[in-house]
Amino acid sequence: MSTKQIIGVFDDESVLLKATQKLKENGVNIKGIFGPSADHDLIKKLTKESRLPYLSVATGVITIILTFAFVYYVSVIDYPLHYGGKPVFAFPPMVVILFLVCILITGAFTTFSFLTSEKMFPGKSAKVVHPRSLDDRFYLVLDRNFNPEEIIQWLQDSGVEEIIEEENEA
Amino acid sequence: MINNKIRYALVKGDKTYGQITDELLLNVEQKPPLWWFAGMTIGTILLAIGGWAFYMSLSQGLGTWGLTNSVAWGWDIINFVWWIGIGHAGTAFTIFFLVFRQKWAGSINRSAEAMTVFAVMCAGLFPLIHMGRPWLAFFILPYPNTRLLWLNFNSPLFWDVLAISTYLITSIMLWYMGMVPDLATIAQRTKNKVGKFLYGMFSLGWNGSLYTYNRYETLMKILGGLAAPLVISVHTIVALDFAVSVLPGWHATILPPYFFVGAIFSGFAMVLTLMILFRKAFNLFDYITEKHLDNIAHVLKYGSLIIGLAYVTEMFTAWYSGVDYEIYTFFRARATGSFSVAFWIMFVFNAVIPQLFWFKNARKNLIILFLVSIVINIGMWFERYIILVSSLAEDFLPSSWTHYSPTMVDIGIYLGTFGLFTCGMLMFVRYIPIVAVNEVKPIARAEKLRKQKAQDHEH
Repeated sequence: MSTKQIIGVFDDESVLLKATQKLKENGVNIKGIFGPSADHDLIKKLTKESRLPYLSVATGVITIILTFAFVYYVSVIDYPLHYGGKPVFAFPPMVVILFLVCILITGAFTTFSFLTSEKMFPGKSAKVVHPRSLDDRFYLVLDRNFNPEEIIQWLQDSGVEEIIEEENEA
Repeated sequence: MINNKIRYALVKGDKTYGQITDELLLNVEQKPPLWWFAGMTIGTILLAIGGWAFYMSLSQGLGTWGLTNSVAWGWDIINFVWWIGIGHAGTAFTIFFLVFRQKWAGSINRSAEAMTVFAVMCAGLFPLIHMGRPWLAFFILPYPNTRLLWLNFNSPLFWDVLAISTYLITSIMLWYMGMVPDLATIAQRTKNKVGKFLYGMFSLGWNGSLYTYNRYETLMKILGGLAAPLVISVHTIVALDFAVSVLPGWHATILPPYFFVGAIFSGFAMVLTLMILFRKAFNLFDYITEKHLDNIAHVLKYGSLIIGLAYVTEMFTAWYSGVDYEIYTFFRARATGSFSVAFWIMFVFNAVIPQLFWFKNARKNLIILFLVSIVINIGMWFERYIILVSSLAEDFLPSSWTHYSPTMVDIGIYLGTFGLFTCGMLMFVRYIPIVAVNEVKPIARAEKLRKQKAQDHEH
């Protein structure tokens, strides 16, 4: 059993896309793709859609309900003050508050969820495949495989720029 | 998805990704030029003046300001509204880019966002100082306290607190999350140990994985989508501070949209000023092209038309209402009376001069673009001056009419915020890439592909 890790280096997204699709068709496990930027098409074709928006909507709805409860408690139950005969419970001004608090909490919570799901935090040391992966090259990192020769052949057919083979510690 | 074809080059020259990284990180990696130090010196001096004025306001009270019984809101609120207005453009650019998929905003939104963050900070200072005792600022937050008091949730002033803090926090999130990939790139390239540590720390362990990019793209779209209504709401709420009162000239339903358009207008003008300077200073001609400046000029032209319409509508409403006080404020005090100079500066600078941009030659001429952008910012300052002071100084009772003029302390605080803004922007151009590197790369690639397609078509 080979324990070699194969990394394909690409300089163009279209070539990377073709190679990745070919490998996927042949059932090769892809450990990761690293690059300096991400084209929208590339993301769409190679990854599953993120579920972040559902979380965001749920947070928004919960925030609105809680904020409504809070403002209602404050201005109607705990501290009903009359300002010039105006009603104690007034919905229109509440809309403004609900709207703003909803945006603030949803934005912050979504950002923190993103950071949590990616396990990102200040001071984390980045596991970068190669410094150039954040500059001008794309790195296609493959899992340990049973058929390295075949994979290398596929990569070469696709127009890879360079193939790196690493001994895997695992 | 909206299929918007790019008609002009948004990134000039066939650049490789490596070239783009090198050129756009130049401002971070090179030693700062001489003018940078000169700018920082001027900014620091202005900050020191602001510090003195702040000290005067705190130690001797707001009596050092030019406020009177009638004109209880003076320069501080004018400048507060002015800075908030300028702050609007940054988020507007981000929305253009993320929500409307306007690719041309891609190379501007980073610096426009920076401008937003610093402008909103400057704006926030004014109400804080105006409180008189800024260390008790937390009283304006709703929290259970020993006085058993709650806030009045019906007050626009409380909405303002919420709106501005929400705006500041959301803009900082948008700005910071947008630059995380670029910070990671710098961390990999820099040889300076301290720089490596700091950039590495703030890049949150970003490694450029496509799966991270997937979630990241979604996150940025969500944040952009959330910020879009926020932009509209912030200045609407600032306008409501005025509109819910009963003073002639303030008590108008047109105020919220009018303020909002004014904000976008002045913010775009400031972006134009800064872009012309940045592209010259850091040789960004290939990334911030004539097309970008042209687009901003178009926005300014239409903004100016809407602003002009708002001025005229206001006057029409005053006349049509038949209320003596309204008619006095608009037709006597503002247009022909003691505030006429400021009024006509406002009108000409905002509604007339930007109409130059109907002419292509004016939009192509950098000097005209630069001058008009400055003129608009001055005009917008006068707009806030007119709205605030003319309504307050000459209200219902002629016996309480008064004149308003700022004191040195008022002016000092204003200069201080300029210092804060200058220093902030200079620190930004020193340590953070001005153009979002990771966002420009796909744009450059799309441009290349489009060119190839066109060539293939010809053959």
